Amino acid sequence: MTTLLVAKQILMTLYSKYEVYITPLLKFLLAFISLLLINSRLGYMNSIDKLTVVLIAALMCSFMPMNFIVVMSALFTLLHLYAFSLECVLVVGTGFLLMFLLYLRFSPKDTLVVILLPICFLMKIPYLIPLAMGLIGTPASVVSVACGVIAYYMIHYVTQNASAIMAITADTESAKFSVAKFKSVIDGLLNNKEMVVIIMAFAVTVIMVYLIRRLSIDYAWTIAMVAGTVVDIMVLLVGDLMFDTNVALFGVIFGNIVSFLLAVVLQFFVFNVDYSRTEKVQFEDDEYYYYVKAVPKVVVSNPEKKVKQINSQRAKTPQKTRSSH
Amino acid sequence: MLNEKRIILMTKMASYEANEGKKNVAIGSYFRSDYIGWQVLKSIISATIAFVVVFGMYIFYDFEIFMMDIYKMDLIEFAKRTLSLYLGTIGAYAVISYMVYTIRYSRAVKSLRVYYLNLRRLAEMYKQ
Repeated sequence: MTTLLVAKQILMTLYSKYEVYITPLLKFLLAFISLLLINSRLGYMNSIDKLTVVLIAALMCSFMPMNFIVVMSALFTLLHLYAFSLECVLVVGTGFLLMFLLYLRFSPKDTLVVILLPICFLMKIPYLIPLAMGLIGTPASVVSVACGVIAYYMIHYVTQNASAIMAITADTESAKFSVAKFKSVIDGLLNNKEMVVIIMAFAVTVIMVYLIRRLSIDYAWTIAMVAGTVVDIMVLLVGDLMFDTNVALFGVIFGNIVSFLLAVVLQFFVFNVDYSRTEKVQFEDDEYYYYVKAVPKVVVSNPEKKVKQINSQRAKTPQKTRSSH
Repeated sequence: MLNEKRIILMTKMASYEANEGKKNVAIGSYFRSDYIGWQVLKSIISATIAFVVVFGMYIFYDFEIFMMDIYKMDLIEFAKRTLSLYLGTIGAYAVISYMVYTIRYSRAVKSLRVYYLNLRRLAEMYKQ
């Protein structure tokens, strides 16, 4: 445990020292991964399905505010869908617009969930996000988690049914837009029972974790995570029985356990830690201009190493030798 | 002559202004009613756009049936129903945003109290 605490302290020191480089690097990585995933899943527009384009876009994201990653990802998604079919871009674009207008405008901090959740879905550990949002968020995070699930399922539906959507013919030969296609995309999205069950399960998990972690009991956070994981599994399985969603039982249980372990790691290294940064501020008064660099005091207390002699050796009395000249 | 205490206080305040206090200072510059009113108005505009988009999609989804029925249906009744749905949606959304922004304003004012206290302390330091 001491080693872990020391590791945490070292991380804090490193972060406060190199925050200027670490934050853009993390943003770059997140943008790079999400754009690559979008390209690999959709990839209909050849001009943006290139590594150089992704690299340039990710580099731009690294110097912009965090939400720019979301905007860039949405743009990539819509461009790919535009190349695929006009009906899809209309439906998915409307979905994004509604999310922005009705909810994300309220809480721009939660916007990141909309990007992290689809990534976690592809990594088969989406259950991590409701646990994490229950730990650091509020009950309102339910809406952002739901937005993330909807965003994932919109793209998932298009990729899964690409050939079926393409097979629907246009109304007339010359028409670029087909109402039948539009209808089928909307029907497919609205009648997705799996999505509804997952939204319900995640909503219950977020609220459960939030309520328990606020209790003034020992190990509230750990209990909250365990309870959240169990509830998530239960709701998903009950939902599967009720709506016949064909959720993979093993996948749900295994994914939940991995998510729980990741949540424990995150809780230790990220959530409860104050990564106070080196601040560079400028101000002035009547006499001076001040350019102050404030460095947080972080003390890394390495455990002292004591060498304890277990086997009792007789201390040898040193023999005095006298050299004679 | 540089006053160390003063610089520390000013640094803390500048850091607050640059980070978590940035939004609070912006909110604090409004009167309560102005801030909440303006935010609720923005919410109503957003909700109106959202409603129009959803309504447009709804009509477009059943466009052919809608166009066939348009001569048969009671248009005034349809308009009334749509309007009441719109008002209900906007009303609910406005109430929620009013509550959210009222809480945000009171939180910002609470957080700014310490900031203003520090400002006063700083002013006194300069007087000395």
